[in-house]
Amino acid sequence: MTVTGVRPDAAELRTARRNRVLAEMEAAGVDILITGREANARYIAGVPRLWLAGSRPFGPGCIFVRASGAIHLVSTWDEGVPDDIPREHLHGITFNSQNTLAMLTGIEGAATAQTVATDGLMPSTFGLLRKAFPTAELVDGEQMMRRARCIKMPDEVDAIRESVRVAEHALAAAQAALVDGVTERRLTAVFMEAMAAAGVTTPTTQDVAWTTSSKDSWSRSTRDAAISPGDLVAFDAGVIRDGYVGEIGRTSVIDRLPSGSEALLGRWQELWDRLMTACRPGATGTDLLNAYAAADVPPPPVPVGRGLGLGNDLPLVSHELPRTAAEQRLESGMVLAVTAYVWQEGVGGIYGQDPVLITDTGPSLLSASQGTRSLTP
Amino acid sequence: MHIPAAPDLDRMRRDRMQRLRDGMREQGLDALVLVGNTNVVYATGAIWPLGDAGRVIFERPVAVVLADDETPHLFSPLHFDDRMRAILPEDHLHGPAHLEFDEGVELFAERLAVLLPAKASVAIDEWTHALRRAGTLAGANGVPVDGGRVVSKAKAIKTADELACMREGLRITEQAIAQVQARLAPGVRQTELTATFLRTIFDAGADANILDPIWQVMPARIADGPWTTTGDLACPLLSTERELAQGDVLWVDTGVSYEGFHSDFGRTWIVGDEPSATQRAQFAKWRTIMDAVLSVIRAGATAADLTAAAIAANGGTKPWMPHFYLGHGLGIDSAEMPYVGSDIGDAFDSSLVLAAGMVLVLEPVVWEDGAGGYRAEEVLVITEDGWEPMTDYSYDPF
Repeated sequence: MTVTGVRPDAAELRTARRNRVLAEMEAAGVDILITGREANARYIAGVPRLWLAGSRPFGPGCIFVRASGAIHLVSTWDEGVPDDIPREHLHGITFNSQNTLAMLTGIEGAATAQTVATDGLMPSTFGLLRKAFPTAELVDGEQMMRRARCIKMPDEVDAIRESVRVAEHALAAAQAALVDGVTERRLTAVFMEAMAAAGVTTPTTQDVAWTTSSKDSWSRSTRDAAISPGDLVAFDAGVIRDGYVGEIGRTSVIDRLPSGSEALLGRWQELWDRLMTACRPGATGTDLLNAYAAADVPPPPVPVGRGLGLGNDLPLVSHELPRTAAEQRLESGMVLAVTAYVWQEGVGGIYGQDPVLITDTGPSLLSASQGTRSLTP
Repeated sequence: MHIPAAPDLDRMRRDRMQRLRDGMREQGLDALVLVGNTNVVYATGAIWPLGDAGRVIFERPVAVVLADDETPHLFSPLHFDDRMRAILPEDHLHGPAHLEFDEGVELFAERLAVLLPAKASVAIDEWTHALRRAGTLAGANGVPVDGGRVVSKAKAIKTADELACMREGLRITEQAIAQVQARLAPGVRQTELTATFLRTIFDAGADANILDPIWQVMPARIADGPWTTTGDLACPLLSTERELAQGDVLWVDTGVSYEGFHSDFGRTWIVGDEPSATQRAQFAKWRTIMDAVLSVIRAGATAADLTAAAIAANGGTKPWMPHFYLGHGLGIDSAEMPYVGSDIGDAFDSSLVLAAGMVLVLEPVVWEDGAGGYRAEEVLVITEDGWEPMTDYSYDPF
């Protein structure tokens, strides 16, 4: 074997994560779980795979069999694959649905499975799943995985903290590049270069900087517009290191705070404090939404609370989904990116986002510094 | 084929909507709901930098195309920027659709009901469990009509404006690649090459990077690389902080997005050294295979004509990696139809007829076990009587 440094996730972490998934499968009576989403496949298999931008159509990527604990992985090679996934459980990339069908029917228990879960659904492959699992009821595996992944283990929290550290490092480089006439595009370029130079080549967002508008709370010009003194520039920094997401949001100015921004900063701080008060075990997503209402701040269209982990983690707290927010209870061990955004006509917006670990004693920031500090030039 | 120096983006969007709506008419569809990122880009012309797949799942823009409306609807949590507002009127821009949550599905169904006629026939490209629980868009057999097919068909043949966009995306990629190649030296890490690549693509005008760039150090023998299900090469393997060494043979594979189009780039490089006589001979053979394939490409040729030419030029065996293909289409997706020489099989290749305006990436591989090999990619557009190159990047150091 050549030495390339691609290694599976640590054995203890793999075992602990798989046990959580097995417990969920047990509780839901799921015989076979088929995951296609990267976060879910990574959680179970512990294998790093090629990062691709954008959403992907559902296709079987990692298959988990409850009775035996066997894991099957769609991978043509064994690099990064741990010893507990034997070669005969690796299945090559295929473009042929008949080969996918043959792979699925070859999974032990496929012919007699009563319940099969998937984390995605495609109109085009529905029939294929019915053929592969003729006796099975098809159920929601995504909700199951969200439950399994929701509470982070200490090793996962450490991994997120490491990712946040890289995000902060690259963010600092981008903030240092904020000068009169620079463009959002250039700031993104600087961020990406600093991130990769630090050894991490995978961002969670490629929309790193946006100049908040003084005319509309959630609009912007283009990535190529020149940024001027007085603009409030929001940064959205996110990286994936060893699979785990670290994200942070900040607002910066070039050399002077625009008039009116001190008062806005005060509102931001009040909102942030209210949000932090809501970040305690037993609170619900509604408490986060209420923090906006109590601070008299209109909420942004994006979620104000979003789980951090391997990707698409709960909780998801959005004003668009009040009932969903009410149903989600914060628990010790959850990690979420909390967003505070305030906007004022004629001034612009102040955006701050921090990764917050919920603990028994309250919120614990996984970032080194909290949002507003960087607003000063 | 005439490819304008600058695309007419308004015309490009109009042409696409026309194709989509023609396809919908053929299938008797009143509406098309699109969830896949690139399908939304195709339908709406809205451009945003694609994010990580995990984050995207909860923040996906959704497009709704109506048969009797020449403008698509966009449901999105994204900032509406000046460009988006210029192409989509206010009453076609909506807040986010959260199709991963039951409550989000209820809200979306209500909004959709306002847009659609009663008992409308609707297709969707990707379903979710939340949509299924609510029975939203479920057909008579409990499964929705596949909307992805309409897009696949519409996008296969590129318009002149689309080709102009693609050529610019390829130019941006190659501008960045030139910077990376200039940096190539013993002691440089793979991730440092990526750092240069990422900075340059954004500075040069890319909307986003689309895959973690590959700078794979190739072994001399297959057995010296990872085990594979095929017994053949493992490629592409992930880039790490590995330091490159004098004489390392790198197989390069990268791509970016520009105006919604994905680019592709592939070459073989040698670190800090000139190619040996053996390596030059491998490149010469690769050139021979490529020329043989190019000589049979024209509108009306089948994918099987291409694979046959490649195999003949290679002395009877397939000169490509069995887990991939001899070639693939390129457009709003990094790899799309037509697939040439994939495991879909010979019968499929024989039935796949190439048409003018299709864009192909050919990627034959020459491999001599014990002496390594050569791989590069050639991007071209098919014309009535042949093909035209989409790029002119050098094969340096070969």
